Amino acid sequence: MTGMRAHNTRLREESVLPFPTPAINGDTPVANERAHQLIAIENVGKTYTTTIGARITALDGVDFTVSDGEFISIVGPSGCGKSTLLRMIAGLSAVSSGRLSVDGKPVTGPSSDVGVVFQHPTLLPWMTVRENIRLPLRVGHYPQVHHSRVDALLSMVGLGPFANAYPYELSGGMQQRAAICRALVRNPKVLLLDEPFGALDALTRERMNIEMQKIWLNNRNTVLLVTHSISEAIFLGDRVIVMSPRPGRVICDRRIELERPRNFKDTVVDPRYLRLTADVRDLLTEGTNE
Amino acid sequence: MSMKIEDTWTPADVTSDLGDSDVHEGATRVRIKQIGLVVFGGIVLLTAWQLSVAWFHIPDYILPAPKKVLDVLWAGLAVSPSNPQGFYIALASTLENAAAGYVIGVSFGIVLGSLMAEFRPIEMSVMPYTFALQSLPKVAIAPLIIIWCGFGDGSKVAMAALMTFFPMMVNTFAGIRATEPERIDLMRALSASRLETYRIVKIPSAAPYIFAGLNMSVVYALLGALIAEFLGAQQGVGVVILQAQAISDTAGVFAILIVLAAVGVVLHWSVGYVERRIIHWAKRSN
Repeated sequence: MTGMRAHNTRLREESVLPFPTPAINGDTPVANERAHQLIAIENVGKTYTTTIGARITALDGVDFTVSDGEFISIVGPSGCGKSTLLRMIAGLSAVSSGRLSVDGKPVTGPSSDVGVVFQHPTLLPWMTVRENIRLPLRVGHYPQVHHSRVDALLSMVGLGPFANAYPYELSGGMQQRAAICRALVRNPKVLLLDEPFGALDALTRERMNIEMQKIWLNNRNTVLLVTHSISEAIFLGDRVIVMSPRPGRVICDRRIELERPRNFKDTVVDPRYLRLTADVRDLLTEGTNE
Repeated sequence: MSMKIEDTWTPADVTSDLGDSDVHEGATRVRIKQIGLVVFGGIVLLTAWQLSVAWFHIPDYILPAPKKVLDVLWAGLAVSPSNPQGFYIALASTLENAAAGYVIGVSFGIVLGSLMAEFRPIEMSVMPYTFALQSLPKVAIAPLIIIWCGFGDGSKVAMAALMTFFPMMVNTFAGIRATEPERIDLMRALSASRLETYRIVKIPSAAPYIFAGLNMSVVYALLGALIAEFLGAQQGVGVVILQAQAISDTAGVFAILIVLAAVGVVLHWSVGYVERRIIHWAKRSN
């Protein structure tokens, strides 16, 4: 049923999750209205000095914008600064040059508008799964009503029966799903995923991709996904952004016109998918010996 | 914990419990074998001890036979707790002071260790002096403590606290500094305050280190109290040892040493038990 929705035309507030929603039910926005621009990255650069005093330019002149509700995949070679870019959007790392804003406000530090999922689940091992997911609410002193989200999120990702389990009792895929719930519990406008499935085996990874699509179709947050996997990037994204080796800059920004919900069986044989995969691979291997 | 596994979406994702009971049985067998060896070693040692004392006519004041030691031990233990001939009054006094010193030393150690880990200027200004203090043998400081605190309980508490403080401070410091950077990033991304990060993430992350310190310190506290008692006190296990030594009652000394060893083991076990209950996650994650 979620597949009936054309993306970018739904407001985030129409989430099927029990998030507090303004009374706008049934009010469908005009389909061709230009979607609200949520993240603006203008000519952003990052340089840092290593411990031995060398100056390194990690990012140089990165420039793109992200619309509200878009799913953006970012691929690039190792060390191209794509994780640094996410950390800057998350407010964990300062911009060296250029301008970066989320929802019209310049990023000056971490914000509750942004949820982050790291490469490792980083669940706190002394807390149960439920306590881990509740952590962002506890830290932000959110009112009690928000806490009902915790169990809704848990059942959405199939972790309901494991709410009282400890992280060490969960598999890697389940831990990462819990980490995604934790990032979503404040209902952030933007969800940043920093190679979240990189440590999983291939089959679990595919299942997580399907799951991630389901979560996003339910929730319609704006998502930025950094990944090494070209297939993951194209399978999940509305747009794929390819970055150059260090200093990282955007060398390609392509829209992915594949219908949702996507499934691996049909998508991986779709000519548009194959075309795009080949193009992105060419871009990434350009200049190497392969 | 009974946990129903009904994750329909990814049955293969569920952590398997298969084979766990087999592993458990094997572990129990190994454990029984280990205990058997320990008991066997003890019997061999005691027999050799008893026989050599008899054969070589070693006088009691050098090395009493195990039988004599057990007799004294029994005489000291099988009495009413209020009997001054028994071990209990002395033991209670020593343990009380050691415990008071332990609590004080542990508290100060955790507080100062935390402050040093959290604030670089405090680390820079305090660290060298605490290490200088630590490199002094505590026994050498004991006479000074006696001058300051007298021959009463104060000296024993102070010595126990002094002995406990340093390992607690160092372990707390090291544990907090060893907090995984990802966990701190997580708290930063959530806009957590410094105090929240310390309380919610750093202290639990440091818990395995802190428990290692607690375990070490429990015996140090006992040692501290004993040192103070050796240098002059009215009561306590140390005093009983000195009195037995004065009348060449070597069997009496041995008996008290056995009691002390048993107390030490029990204290270790207790801390270990609390540790396993509180940080059950530590061994199984990572």
